[in-house]
Amino acid sequence: MQAGKTAVSEAASLPTIKVDKSSLNNGGTITVSGVAPAGKPVYLEVYTERKVRASRFDADIDKETGKRPYILYMTYEMPAYYKIYVPAAMRDELGKIKKEGEKWAYSKALKDLGADIAYSIPAKIKIDKYQATLMGSIIGSRGTPLAAMGKDEDKKRSMQLVKARFRNPDKLLVPTVEVSPDGTYTARVKIDAGSAPGKYTVVAVAGKNLRSQPVTVTNNISFPNVYLSNAGTSLNLFGPFLLTLLIVIFGVLMGAGGGFIMNPLFVSLWPLPHAIVAGTVMPTVLFSQASGIYNYSKIKFISWKLGVSIGLAMVAGGFIGPKLTEMITLSQFKSVFGWILLILAALMFWQTTPGYIAKNKKEQALLKEFKKKAEEAAVAKANADANANA
Amino acid sequence: MIVEFWGHEFKINIVLGCIGGFLIAIISSMFGFGGGPFVVPLMTVALGLPMYLVVGSSLLAIFFNTLMGTMRHYQFGNFDPVFFLIMFPAAILGGFIGPQIAKRMSPLWVKRVAGIGLVLLALNLLGVY
Repeated sequence: MQAGKTAVSEAASLPTIKVDKSSLNNGGTITVSGVAPAGKPVYLEVYTERKVRASRFDADIDKETGKRPYILYMTYEMPAYYKIYVPAAMRDELGKIKKEGEKWAYSKALKDLGADIAYSIPAKIKIDKYQATLMGSIIGSRGTPLAAMGKDEDKKRSMQLVKARFRNPDKLLVPTVEVSPDGTYTARVKIDAGSAPGKYTVVAVAGKNLRSQPVTVTNNISFPNVYLSNAGTSLNLFGPFLLTLLIVIFGVLMGAGGGFIMNPLFVSLWPLPHAIVAGTVMPTVLFSQASGIYNYSKIKFISWKLGVSIGLAMVAGGFIGPKLTEMITLSQFKSVFGWILLILAALMFWQTTPGYIAKNKKEQALLKEFKKKAEEAAVAKANADANANA
Repeated sequence: MIVEFWGHEFKINIVLGCIGGFLIAIISSMFGFGGGPFVVPLMTVALGLPMYLVVGSSLLAIFFNTLMGTMRHYQFGNFDPVFFLIMFPAAILGGFIGPQIAKRMSPLWVKRVAGIGLVLLALNLLGVY
């Protein structure tokens, strides 16, 4: 009898929750409201069932041992969308966190805002841990898999992975929950355009064991928006299509593939992970390179000896490079690309200097002459073959 | 190493070429591009080869890198099939349209405009503005 009473009073103190709509079309705003025990701050944990990959390479000096751990943490179970809505009164507190810049720590932010009580879904994801070695990186292995971590360690590392995936405090913490003294609360939850389609779950949290029932909202995506499951982003497919078209045309004019412009533009314009962009742009240019090689080889305008010799050295480099992509952060990716493009720009300007143009004129004349010879030879050979067959 | 091309012989320092190619390949596969704009100067300036020999052969060299880089990125799961299906037709189409426009434009001005564009993009990436 006594026990039954306690259960009832506990159930009564759990926050209630309701939402004003049950579906969205490519994002939108929902209003969440309910009643929580009076006097408690209310947090909303919002997440989607869609999973994406997240990784973080830990090369920061360990404060206790003074050594760099060189460990790669990786998960395939990060929610594609994850946000904690905090009481609106914490706006100033959140402002301070934003001022910390890139060095902000998600775990500290959660603690400062008291939002660690709401943090539950990513704490349960499965995290793989690899000990990277210099040799391993050279031969392109992720390293030796390490034993599974304990629950607390998993939670700590999951917070770092959440930060690695979503990067900005803005993307993870939103101060819009208005809580009245009597415990009623309302909050506007904004699912951004470009978020993953599918079910979004909202849970109100007012204390460590005070979690409301989950409510779900479905986000629908329709043509021309498509969801990139590996990148965890949906976008209007005409955007990347037109951009690729323009860059490839421009690349042809410049005498280059265009991959080096596509990568930095894609990661700047859309919330796409840099490793996915790099890994998807490369096969895109593969076919135009192959058709170029085919056209040159038809007129015997390729030195196979030179191309293959340097090509073999490049195969070795191409084996190592992609491994390194996941070891760097997006901001490192962008800044290194900044320098690469400055070097390229310098090469471009150098090619417009009078000395280069004079030299280039001779070269171009020679190129034309040789090409003509090559084409004539190819035609003559074709004719000879035809005659021989006849 | 001696490279023979249409009756001409060129003596090149293949060790320098391979080290250069190796380093260019690491950087370019790491950042997701073929490496053409760097391999062409490597072959013309560092190895002293003429442009008519470099145009086709550099393409062959970077093809090796792009192929290996593609396979490795795929192996690590850094590939999005839908994203690929959006970009691929655009790249093919651009490959047809590009040469048509190229015939009617001064390559000198294209390079100047490209240079300015690259500087602007670079400064943006470096957080200057």
